[in-house]
Amino acid sequence: MNSQDQIPGLEQEKIDSLSADILRPVRINKSFLLWITFLFLALIICLYVYSIQLRKGLGVTGLRDITSWGMYIANFVFFVASSLVGMLISCVLGLIGFRWVTPIARIAEIVAVAFAAVAGLVIISDMGRPDRLPYVFLYGRVQSPILWDVTVVTTYFVLSLLLWFLPMIPDIAVARTRLQNRPSLLVKVYGILSFKWVHHPEQYKILNQAVKILIILIIPTALAIHTVTSWLFAVTPRAGWDSTIFGPYFVSGAFVSGTSALLIAMYFFRTNFRLQSYITDYHFERVARLLFLVSVVYLYFNLNEFLVPAYKMKKFDAFHIHELFAGHYAFAFWLVQLGGLVIPIFLLIFRFMRKPLPLLVISIFMFTASWLKRYLIVVPPQGHPYLPVQYVPQEWMVYKPTLIESTITLATFILVLIIITLLSKFFPVVPIVETAREESDQEAKSHEKH
Amino acid sequence: MGEKKKNKKPEETEIQSIVESSRREFLKNASITGAAVVTGAAAVIAGFRHERAKKKGEYVKVLTTDNKLVKVPVEEVEGYQMGLKELQERGRVGIKGKRWIWVIDLSKCRNARKCIEACQSAHHLRPYEYHINTLVMQESVNTPAYFMPKPCQHCDNPPCVSVCPVDATFKRQDGPVLIDNERCIGCRFCMAACPYSARIFHWQDPKDAETDKGKEYNVELNIPQRKGTISKCLMSCDRLRENKLPYCVSSCPNGVYYFGDENEDAVTNGTTKETVRLSELLEKNGGYRLMAELGTKPRIYYLPPKNRIFDFEKDRPEEKDFII
Amino acid sequence: MKKILSSLLLFQILAGLLIAQEWTVPADKKGRLSPFPFSDSIRKAGLQLYSLNCMSCHGTPGKGNFQALVPPPGDPATDKIQHNADGELFYKVSEGRGQMPSFKNTLASKDIWTIVSYIRSFNPAYVQSVMPEITSGAYSGAVIALSLLLNPSRDSVMLKASAIRGNSVVPVTGAGVKLFVRRTFGLLPLDEEKTTNDQGMAFFPVPSDLPGDTAGKIQVSARFTDEDQFGPVSKDTLLQVGLKIEPVSLVKDRAMWNVVRKAPWWIILTYSLGVLVVWGFILLVLLKLRDIYIIGEHIDSVGAKKNES
Repeated sequence: MNSQDQIPGLEQEKIDSLSADILRPVRINKSFLLWITFLFLALIICLYVYSIQLRKGLGVTGLRDITSWGMYIANFVFFVASSLVGMLISCVLGLIGFRWVTPIARIAEIVAVAFAAVAGLVIISDMGRPDRLPYVFLYGRVQSPILWDVTVVTTYFVLSLLLWFLPMIPDIAVARTRLQNRPSLLVKVYGILSFKWVHHPEQYKILNQAVKILIILIIPTALAIHTVTSWLFAVTPRAGWDSTIFGPYFVSGAFVSGTSALLIAMYFFRTNFRLQSYITDYHFERVARLLFLVSVVYLYFNLNEFLVPAYKMKKFDAFHIHELFAGHYAFAFWLVQLGGLVIPIFLLIFRFMRKPLPLLVISIFMFTASWLKRYLIVVPPQGHPYLPVQYVPQEWMVYKPTLIESTITLATFILVLIIITLLSKFFPVVPIVETAREESDQEAKSHEKH
Repeated sequence: MGEKKKNKKPEETEIQSIVESSRREFLKNASITGAAVVTGAAAVIAGFRHERAKKKGEYVKVLTTDNKLVKVPVEEVEGYQMGLKELQERGRVGIKGKRWIWVIDLSKCRNARKCIEACQSAHHLRPYEYHINTLVMQESVNTPAYFMPKPCQHCDNPPCVSVCPVDATFKRQDGPVLIDNERCIGCRFCMAACPYSARIFHWQDPKDAETDKGKEYNVELNIPQRKGTISKCLMSCDRLRENKLPYCVSSCPNGVYYFGDENEDAVTNGTTKETVRLSELLEKNGGYRLMAELGTKPRIYYLPPKNRIFDFEKDRPEEKDFII
Repeated sequence: MKKILSSLLLFQILAGLLIAQEWTVPADKKGRLSPFPFSDSIRKAGLQLYSLNCMSCHGTPGKGNFQALVPPPGDPATDKIQHNADGELFYKVSEGRGQMPSFKNTLASKDIWTIVSYIRSFNPAYVQSVMPEITSGAYSGAVIALSLLLNPSRDSVMLKASAIRGNSVVPVTGAGVKLFVRRTFGLLPLDEEKTTNDQGMAFFPVPSDLPGDTAGKIQVSARFTDEDQFGPVSKDTLLQVGLKIEPVSLVKDRAMWNVVRKAPWWIILTYSLGVLVVWGFILLVLLKLRDIYIIGEHIDSVGAKKNES
């Protein structure tokens, strides 16, 4: 073995055994090639569909003058929301001192990076003139929440990327020495990305400082991205959007969708990458408790968001409440509120429900409901503007997403999967050095007790 | 162990000094580059300003009929075709000294929809694309139903302009809120923000996309209309520039519209061309603004639908008429 | 059947009479005549004006396709309208009533006569009589002039109408005159119509709250009510009778809705500071990454040297 692999304060065998497990999935095999080819083929089909929209204009969607924001914007909100989990797991919990987050922190960051990166593309799919995107930077108006959103989403993406990458540098150094038999290009990339890491204590010191800065920085930025996204709606005088609690309402909802996304990803990596001994039932149990907590907080905000206007029944709020509770959107609304929030909260009370498989099912429900919830936040308030809708074509009255719209939305999910796949197949998804340190610390502790 | 630590000490300080000296070097270089970039940018901006200043005072030499060579400002030459830049600049600046104001008398509107036709033909719109629309309004069964022409309210606190990310829509010194479809990125935030549903979006190729091709874009007329951008009521700024009443105002057969300059305290009826004092008209008829409680400060004033000289119920459209 | 028909007819006549009674034209206006003879070209111009201003309610003459309004506008080709004298038609178009708009501010009197000529073309029995002389007999051959003078107290304007024939100047008496203030899209009448007194003078009170230009000046315009009698005589002049109005641009203040150069300070500062601080820290992190690289490079080179020795 190379002398560079000498990690101060850690036994060589520990690193060896850990990296053997964790680096095993980091390779190009048949199933990976098949999967990624499938994803890219699907993406190409979707891109062709997007080219139709580019050519013919947004008229190919179900959007019209009455409901001019639909599935794309709902999807954007959802993506921003799901990316928030990175900050919650690795920063908030990490800062508080929960050591159990170590093996899943990187998965959370991968989810965050993937969703934040695609969120920017989702918003482009909604633009009437995507070719004029540079205008946002050339002529940006500092008063517009869109400019704030573009700024914070970009910043958050960069921060998430750094927060995924920086703590991984020691692991890349480990991989560099151990994965010499991989394609030469990949080995070269490891060489570059390891930033001449030699496991020198001074390097660890600097790295820890840098990561600490990022962790502190990302908390306000993450709060900002979703608060600003909620302001895209809350700054308008429309009933149903005109709410003062939209910021925290969105942020708490984001934690629900992000945590459920994390649980799905955890389950997938645990079984597919055979990481059962690193991502254990204990981790699922912990994240399930977290999910319970954020869901209860979200339920509380839902109560505020609907009960207060429903009590007063101001004219246009009443239209909105009626549409959701008993009108056109009632089925979706109750599905989301009960199936995606109340029942999961109830189920999560039980210990046997906090096991990996039941959690996967619950998380899939909550994740899907979270998407639908964004749709219910974005679409219905536009259906009842202050002034009556008259002398317009029939199809303007009710918004129905078209197949093209749905396909383009699907494309964004495919992109997320591609990013997650690439990041997890070329880089270790569980921290090697940190986990090793964690384990040896615990061993030392139990030694002392004895 | 202890020995090792002692041995390491000089190495550690060495490493720190290496890092520090390298950082000093880097920062020095970075600050030099930074200063260069700033100076460069300043020079570019100064150059741009100079170009613009030059443009304003541009003259051309013209041969008069009596064979004299005279120098005249470029924009005063008759038949001189303004370029996009000039049209945009002129459209954004507006007409100095004016404050356009609009009064709509609801007691006279009978839903003739002539204003809509005139507007749509002037701005090349389809029958269901409205810069102005007349709506049937009724608050409750016991309150009267009436027709309400609804153009853009040209608010003095326009929520649509606040949210625009690229200065594509803007408020002018003389009142109107316009849209520059050469700038618009099609995000439709303004549509979401407008409580009066005054804006439309070109979801597909606009009506006269083919025939308008190649025309120089006039912000004040919003022609050619463009796919993927917003369009809206423009208060007929192209007509106002010629001291003419807006298209809709002058085409109303029922005397619904008054239009004028708030600074002059006078509005002129588009049908009868009668000019009256704005303050008197509003006071005598109890003028009000639409949804004033939202704080948008509309530039459009409404006169309530009282003492109507026609029978509303006879003109009332049926529910099915609202779908076209 | 006959009874019903005749009673219907009677009813119609009665209704017609009723409406006719409702809209009586003052006797002096009734006898008014067109100052020019109706020719084919005039009738053609009349068709243009008719379709622009009258067709939307009255329909095509002779087709009976007028709008169903109360009272019905009627078809101009029918007796209901043709039984009017020229002066009556002129008066009704000019003044309007109820739903029929007044056209006196929209159309010049020449245009109204042109429309009358078109309406008359549907009446084969019509024989036109033209007004014998354009100028009034009393001042024939004279040049009619109007002059305006502001009262020193600035609360009224004196209008003087005179007829100038050679060296003699005679006041025009008993003539209807109006005073207007020129506004962007039309003439704002000041007070009611006045009649000149025996010195040819009329006094118009000026409201104290009328906005003028930056210097308080207002463009006023004086005219005769009966243009046919005196010709298109008018007098425009700038008078210092208005309030001094300093027009204020609506976009001068910093506001959320204004252009980015005029954004509120607090938002520019908050945004720029936020971006600077966060990206400053990101830069710091990148610098630290660079430090890590430099250390690694140094250790590498030391190791290499060791290996060599």
